[in-house]
Amino acid sequence: MTKPKRTHPLGLLQHIAKSIKDYWFLLILVFTNHDHTSIWFWGIMIILIIAFFVWPLAKWLTLTYVVAPDAVVVHSGVFVRHHEHIPYARIQTVQSKQWFYLRPFKLEEVLIETASHSDSAPEARLAAVPITVAQQINHYRQAPAATSAPDPTTDDATPTTAPAAVTDTPAAYYQINYRDLVKFGLTSLIFIPFLLVLLGLYDKVPRNVTDALVNDASHLGLTLLIGGAIVIILIAWLGAFLWTLTRYYHFELSRAGHQLVTAKGLFQRNTVTAPLDRLQGVRIKQNILRQWLRLQTVQVLVASKAASDDDDNDLVVMPVIDNAIVYDTMQPFIQWLPDHQPDLSALHVARSWYQIRNTMLVVAVPIALLWWVWPSWGWISLLLLPIAALQGRFAAKNTAGARLSPQLLALQTGHFWERELYYIPTEKIQSMKLTRSIWMKRTHLAHLVVNIRHGNHNQAIELRYLHADAAHAIYDWYLHRT
Amino acid sequence: MPSTNHQLPPRIKRIWGISALGSLGALLVISGLLWLTHHYWDWSIWITVFALILTVIEPLIEAALIPYRYRFTRYHITDLAVEMQAGFIFQKRVAIPIARVQNVTLNAGPLLQWQKLTKVSIATASTSHDIEGLELPEAERLREQIMRLAQEARHDQA
Repeated sequence: MTKPKRTHPLGLLQHIAKSIKDYWFLLILVFTNHDHTSIWFWGIMIILIIAFFVWPLAKWLTLTYVVAPDAVVVHSGVFVRHHEHIPYARIQTVQSKQWFYLRPFKLEEVLIETASHSDSAPEARLAAVPITVAQQINHYRQAPAATSAPDPTTDDATPTTAPAAVTDTPAAYYQINYRDLVKFGLTSLIFIPFLLVLLGLYDKVPRNVTDALVNDASHLGLTLLIGGAIVIILIAWLGAFLWTLTRYYHFELSRAGHQLVTAKGLFQRNTVTAPLDRLQGVRIKQNILRQWLRLQTVQVLVASKAASDDDDNDLVVMPVIDNAIVYDTMQPFIQWLPDHQPDLSALHVARSWYQIRNTMLVVAVPIALLWWVWPSWGWISLLLLPIAALQGRFAAKNTAGARLSPQLLALQTGHFWERELYYIPTEKIQSMKLTRSIWMKRTHLAHLVVNIRHGNHNQAIELRYLHADAAHAIYDWYLHRT
Repeated sequence: MPSTNHQLPPRIKRIWGISALGSLGALLVISGLLWLTHHYWDWSIWITVFALILTVIEPLIEAALIPYRYRFTRYHITDLAVEMQAGFIFQKRVAIPIARVQNVTLNAGPLLQWQKLTKVSIATASTSHDIEGLELPEAERLREQIMRLAQEARHDQA
């Protein structure tokens, strides 16, 4: 039996960082009390020392792990001891995160996730362990189930041979070039949340400063105001661009055996390994900018939260790629994908009117409210109506889908100006729902919902206002499939 | 195996009726509390009036819809899938392949226990679907059947 090992002392830094992240508000206490002689001051200091040093140290001391041939075992807990036993066959993804300061020491953080429903936290988080640990885990995962029984020859004593087997030449390999990376950064729409953060900061600026600014601005007129707005948007855009750049720096995708491996990041190298047969689906999506530029992003849906910092919590396997070559590029990695853009007209929306009506009804309520609150300015909110109508039309025009083979379904939706095309292996569909109201009987329409597992929850892909016969055909095929 | 379309046991209507009465009771209590706020803290009397109107209307609608709800709720099990149907104005059909079923749970609150009925929840890896009430032996048979078929389906895959 191998002895449980502790993680590297540098892991302590990680634990301390996490404590600071969780209990940063305790630091405020220091500033509330300036009297160094008071008992309160020292009390607060003791609390801080416990929270930011003693507690992380205790956590670090009590966390041990074993990479055994049949499972990863993690012991943790200061007062309540946890013994987590994770068999390799149950692992969904192995993620390793390497901060730049861990690189010289050949260490990294390893997160192991299974499909269990325990929310938020991964099954195992090893703060700083040698990079051979993840390689070894992946090696054991690759091994066929038959040899997973305890076998003295593949025991822990031979960790040096384990990585060698994994680093076989990958069956397919892709690395992003700088031009594509820049394109990806520039067309990312995450600058919108950045913009909101900037606007939030504006609120924090002292009142007199903003008042002075507004006074100046009113002297200089409208052009300056508009100029200012453009500058703020540009700053947000640049910030988002740089952020994307550092996160997707040197993006790599490779397929080794039955596993898909992505690696990315400048300051923190983030490597995720997912077995191909655990993919719940593939999503090809385009935001509105990328639709104009004919670029696509490819993601895989996995039943773990390893990708929770990626876009929409899905693991990005191809950040940006031209429409024309997406299938040629992806097929070597995920072989069940079609090799060309398939015909998706089997499921389509014949009349956009219903979706246009619905989106307009949705914005009608806020418009009415705005009008009521600011009678003189409410009319501006009427601008929302044509935007909503166009969004409804966009959703209708982009709804598509077809059964490509008995094993593969393709479904396309359009939400919030984003076109999403899902490829779902039939066996990964958890359930299918068909709904229609009595009025839709007359118009011969139906909604189709396909449920798949996504992260730790359900992803419902809903195709609305389809022709009833087409929707029924898919539903009945699914129900009576042999 | 022949596949037949099953309705829920008729006694479920009694339970829905009692739960409508329960809603009435709960809403009455809320209205009473709102009247107290009017009495002691001078909250507007209209809030209480509105609550009272709701107290009358909501259980009435709930009760009136029982025959409709009963008539259009059906379930149906074949070797391959469980299918559930509900609603007429808003029709819903769900197909759950037996191979995707992770677990089947039977649970019954005091009302269902009193009527010797039980609720059956069929869970997949991502969704959960309920059959609102079944006779106890029927539910157990159903559970055995689904679990047996699920095991067979799993063997087929391997």
